[in-house]
Amino acid sequence: MLKLTPSKKRLILFIIFGWILLILSNQVGDLKLYQGSFIATYALAITSIILLTGYSGQLSLGQSALMAVGAYAGALAIFNLGLHPVIGLFVAALVAGVFGLLLGLIVARLSGPYLAGTTLALAVSLPTLANQFPILGAEEGVPFDVGSAPARFGEDFSQYKWQFWIASLAALIMVWFIANLLTSRYGRTYKALRDNPVAAELSGINVGQVKVGAFAISSGVAGLSGALLAVLISGVSPSAFPLSLSFALLGGAVVTGVYSLKGVILGGLVLVAIPEIADSLVLRIGGSEGFTTSLPGFLVSALLILAVVFAPNGPGSLIKREHHKK
Amino acid sequence: MIRNKSMRRATLVSAIVATGAMLLSTLPAQAATPGVTAKEIKLGISSPLTGSAGLSYGKVPGAMKAYFNYINANGGVYGRKITLVSRDDKYLPVRAATETTNLILKDNVFALVGALGTATHAKAYKAAALAAKNVPDLFVNTGFSGFTNQVKYPTTFMVLPTYAMEAKVIAKAIKDNFPGQPSLLIAQDDEFGTDGVAGFTAAGHKFSAPNVLYPQGYFSTPGRDAAVITSLKGLLALAPGSKPVIVLFGTTDVTAALLKAATDAGVEKSFTWYAGSVGADANTLLALGVKSTTIDGVVSASFMPDAKDLTDPYVKQFVDINTKYNKGITFDNYVLAAMNSAMLTVQALRAAGKDLTRKGVMTAIETKGAKFASAGLVPLGYSATSRIGYNGYWVSQLNAKGEGKPFGGKLVIYTTDSGAGAVEVSTFVRPTMPKNGIPTNS
Repeated sequence: MLKLTPSKKRLILFIIFGWILLILSNQVGDLKLYQGSFIATYALAITSIILLTGYSGQLSLGQSALMAVGAYAGALAIFNLGLHPVIGLFVAALVAGVFGLLLGLIVARLSGPYLAGTTLALAVSLPTLANQFPILGAEEGVPFDVGSAPARFGEDFSQYKWQFWIASLAALIMVWFIANLLTSRYGRTYKALRDNPVAAELSGINVGQVKVGAFAISSGVAGLSGALLAVLISGVSPSAFPLSLSFALLGGAVVTGVYSLKGVILGGLVLVAIPEIADSLVLRIGGSEGFTTSLPGFLVSALLILAVVFAPNGPGSLIKREHHKK
Repeated sequence: MIRNKSMRRATLVSAIVATGAMLLSTLPAQAATPGVTAKEIKLGISSPLTGSAGLSYGKVPGAMKAYFNYINANGGVYGRKITLVSRDDKYLPVRAATETTNLILKDNVFALVGALGTATHAKAYKAAALAAKNVPDLFVNTGFSGFTNQVKYPTTFMVLPTYAMEAKVIAKAIKDNFPGQPSLLIAQDDEFGTDGVAGFTAAGHKFSAPNVLYPQGYFSTPGRDAAVITSLKGLLALAPGSKPVIVLFGTTDVTAALLKAATDAGVEKSFTWYAGSVGADANTLLALGVKSTTIDGVVSASFMPDAKDLTDPYVKQFVDINTKYNKGITFDNYVLAAMNSAMLTVQALRAAGKDLTRKGVMTAIETKGAKFASAGLVPLGYSATSRIGYNGYWVSQLNAKGEGKPFGGKLVIYTTDSGAGAVEVSTFVRPTMPKNGIPTNS
């Protein structure tokens, strides 16, 4: 019998999952495809937080700013330089990664609340800088157009299906890459760094270098997710990346379980589903405007409490626990 | 091995949860014309209901609903009731894109009405594929001239004049009414402000000092206010004995912040304040803490009658509807404009005929829209080649009660275009209001 290595098994698993998504995309309507695109995008953004916070132990509240960097870079590459949209997505990840590298070098000495505070300041200030540079299009922003699907897919191939394919494929490839990274030697150094930086340094790990590397890779992933978000809203502008997005993604990461990538889709699903559930509840039971407005926040809070109490390490840990009981 | 197995299971569980959720609901059955049945016409609006923008614009959907309910109580449109589905986009582009997409794909609305905001609606238009789906995008509440581009926005019909038109009219009014006085422009540094700057340039107006531009979302801080006051005092020093005209081309909250800062510095009566139509709602200015003595004398550009003018038949009718169908909501310029857009919508639906289609309603506005009855004191500019609603302004002046009266006691209406066309005085007389405010056109 053929014995597969874990990395090959993972590759097969991702291919099968991609195949399932491909089949599903032909079965569901535009609304589900649009929602699915957001789930993929948010799952990718949550992946960047899990890599940074869960594995390398650095708490960032500035993921929305890093997403904005990627989104602007990709949009400018397509709109101003006329590059192909696929290259635009690569540029988004690359520029955000380089930005993260530089930022990582600056904040490498910070940790805990100091790092959180610095990245928080970045999330508040960076998007508003866009208003200062005409090339960034002020509040209207820059278009991020991936164009229509190739004609060979037929006239019925909607823009939503095209966006779903792009978002899902980009997310699958990137999450697969990160999953491999985290199970490699680098992943183990991240964990060592997170659990005991002093012990990690004594065992020969260059703590500063590893922290900066993790920050750069996480930024690149966040940049790609920012570009995908810009694709879904057809452009990038400062108000597309508010501070609240950083907190929402962090909430999604907690629901997912910050120490594991296993449930990132669940995190993305939660972020997309909460407003929908809130809408449905309001439609059924009615309520004042204040109730309508605060319900999504209440549901997220309730979910976070439940997650922390019953599955602090994410849904994957529950299954693992059951397995050990057996 | 255990780790790999558990990981595989967990991943599969995640996949099943995700895909299961996506399959939970089935697609709604598609009618021949989306959002239209024998008994109902479903319309949608995405606008800010909450957040800072919601304070001013949050009244819009409710006021439109109130007017539609009034029409529904009086027979609807050819027997069909109008339902307005309202979604809160918080004035954020991402929310606007998703909520507008939800209106089209989930709520299955026939058309959008009264969408609000430039950055928000520009994103929403493309994200929701309004052009591809041929969804009428009616009476959009922004003056951004980009929306007049029929190649980019083939289904959009604006209701406001463009900001460039407004700037041209203000330039003309300054020239006619304040000759020789120095002037300064304080504007929002985005497409709103730049559209205005382009209008002043097209009109050949030269300000006495460099424009003061600020980013959208300006909030009052001692430092920012001091910088503006310094600019103003510099203008006074430049021309001693003059009363410079300060054009405030921004939203109501910024207009209020600047007027309050000038009042605090004791220089509010040293200038003639010329507030753009977007930022000159007197009720909101008063509610935001601007003193009535400061508001007294503020000049503004408007295309609608004043919301406090109960001698105007349209205003009186809308106030009555507001009292009955929109209880507890103060009638102001926002409510007036929203009800007016709702009245235009009803006429557009009627003009499209009993066999309602998306294409039909757009053709109806192109061919008959310029003659629709409306509260506006300036003409509507709809045609096969123009998607601009009102194409001019009249010059008003607020008194201490916040009432807008014709400047100099005489109503002067200016009309123009967004380009290099001249600003002309118009003799336009608006159509008589339909009986009881209920359109009967066809």
